[in-house]
Amino acid sequence: MVDAEIKRDRIIIRHKGKKWDWMLEPRYWRNTMIWTALLVVFPIISYFVSPILLTTVITANLYAAIAIPLALMTVGTGRLNFGPNFFIGVGGYAAALLSIAYGWGPLKTLPFAFIFSMASALLFSPLVILARGLYYVLLTLLLPLVFMEVTFIYTDIFKGDVGLSGIKLLVNLGRVKLNFLACAYISMALMLLYLLVVNKILKSRYGLIMATINDDEEVAHGIGVNINKVKILAFIFPAGMIGVAGWFYAHYFATFAGITYLPLSFMVKVLLVIFIGGRTQVFGCVVGGYFIAFLEMILISTLGEIQPFVFPIILLILLFALPEGLFGIYRRRRYREYLPTLHVRR
Amino acid sequence: MSEILKVRNITKSFGGLTAVNNLSFDISPGETVGLIGPNGAGKTTLVNVLCGSYYADSGEIEMDGKRITRMKPYERCHLGLSRTYQIPRPFPELTALMSVVTSALCGKKRINRGLDDAGAEATHYLEFVGLFSKRNILARDLTFFEMRMLELARALATTPKLLFVDEVMAGLNPGEANKAVHLIARAKEEFGLTIFWIEHVMAVLMEAAERIIAIHFGEKIAEGPPDEIASNEKVIEAYLGSGWKGKAHA
Repeated sequence: MVDAEIKRDRIIIRHKGKKWDWMLEPRYWRNTMIWTALLVVFPIISYFVSPILLTTVITANLYAAIAIPLALMTVGTGRLNFGPNFFIGVGGYAAALLSIAYGWGPLKTLPFAFIFSMASALLFSPLVILARGLYYVLLTLLLPLVFMEVTFIYTDIFKGDVGLSGIKLLVNLGRVKLNFLACAYISMALMLLYLLVVNKILKSRYGLIMATINDDEEVAHGIGVNINKVKILAFIFPAGMIGVAGWFYAHYFATFAGITYLPLSFMVKVLLVIFIGGRTQVFGCVVGGYFIAFLEMILISTLGEIQPFVFPIILLILLFALPEGLFGIYRRRRYREYLPTLHVRR
Repeated sequence: MSEILKVRNITKSFGGLTAVNNLSFDISPGETVGLIGPNGAGKTTLVNVLCGSYYADSGEIEMDGKRITRMKPYERCHLGLSRTYQIPRPFPELTALMSVVTSALCGKKRINRGLDDAGAEATHYLEFVGLFSKRNILARDLTFFEMRMLELARALATTPKLLFVDEVMAGLNPGEANKAVHLIARAKEEFGLTIFWIEHVMAVLMEAAERIIAIHFGEKIAEGPPDEIASNEKVIEAYLGSGWKGKAHA
């Protein structure tokens, strides 16, 4: 029996002797509202002003939609996964192959992309228990590269060299510009949904438990945290979320090639989103995603040939100059404790 | 069945080194049992085996009549077994309050426990160890003594029946050590704990413990009330070496 109770500032849910409370605190919502409104207005303005920006917005949203679950995975497993693009590959190929084979639309392939990437994560989940430190980094780094080799070896299935084509489009409204606008809003909805879910998880008791695992696994085990369960769940669930980003790529471009997403260059960009935005700060992932997508776009359009050199140099300078990332600047100025300070009266 | 902890023939070795060798003892509820031994005697290894950080190679551990020999640390914690560490290991990125909240949440299962309830309870434990004013400070910024106290609060917040105290005196000055000893005695009374106290310094246990177990090279060499242990030939030999009598006379 689930028993829900609505109070002034929270919803309390009870089930079998367990209790969850969902804090509703509108006084903390103002900044979130302002930023969300700005984000939502941006594509519609660029639709009328310069539609070329829409592709950049989509890229930025997808960078953020990959980085946000990766931040959750990093906190929950206490290890930095260097191969998030493996799950993009799994989700994307699952969606692409199913869409081509059965002629399925994006809505039908979505659950399969999610489930397949979670299953692949479940297959590799012993990594988070057995490997730690540099070994975990190396093993996760190898996963997408090995997967890329597989797409070349079994090229009759995966079409590793030319890429799969003939996937159903995400939306088809008849006009290219409108399609891009719709894709921009779908990607933004995906990103905002991830932001909401991951932020809620990180601010709840599970986030606190993950934080202890991140800090000291052995001690966390000693105070009663079932660390293996938490780590495996924190590996599988974000993996499914990242796989959905792969699903989006497959249906957005109507083609999917592993060589675009599986190599190191794509992975480095995703990691930079996390580091420039602010380590494991979910809001920082959005800042970082937009920053990197727009920086890349501006440099490509202004610098031309020397862009491949200037882009990493700027990022390196930023990595040294901003150890806490772009979001860290904001956070340092206006830091808030999550829980209001408890007052005990005598 | 009256014993809270029953240890039978525990052996643990690392490669060729036998750290704990065929050790057996009992702890009754409400007791304060001390464990002493010179450096490298296997005291901390014994605690690690009892808490589940390592599994024993052979032998059995029973708690409240339940076999916990192969249980994982978190399951033992849910049964009511908690520990502090010899070198404080706080969660460096969490505030003092939040680290205690986690153990109040995850420790022994309690009904209708939300994050806020855990926060309220954690406050009580923080106040008990005297860290209430430091509740919003990151654990890594606390002093050494405060980290010790935070560990104690974290261990108490899991609501243990049996608390392992691992060298609480190490690295503290006499004033702080005195505070710590009194606090543990108070915790024992207030929360009805059984305490298993590992210590290097004999003097502390002479006061606090009702029974002392002395180990050397992983083997039990003596067990009994503090006075007996202090005058036990084998214990003196273990601490000072076998030739001490002759040298003292010469």
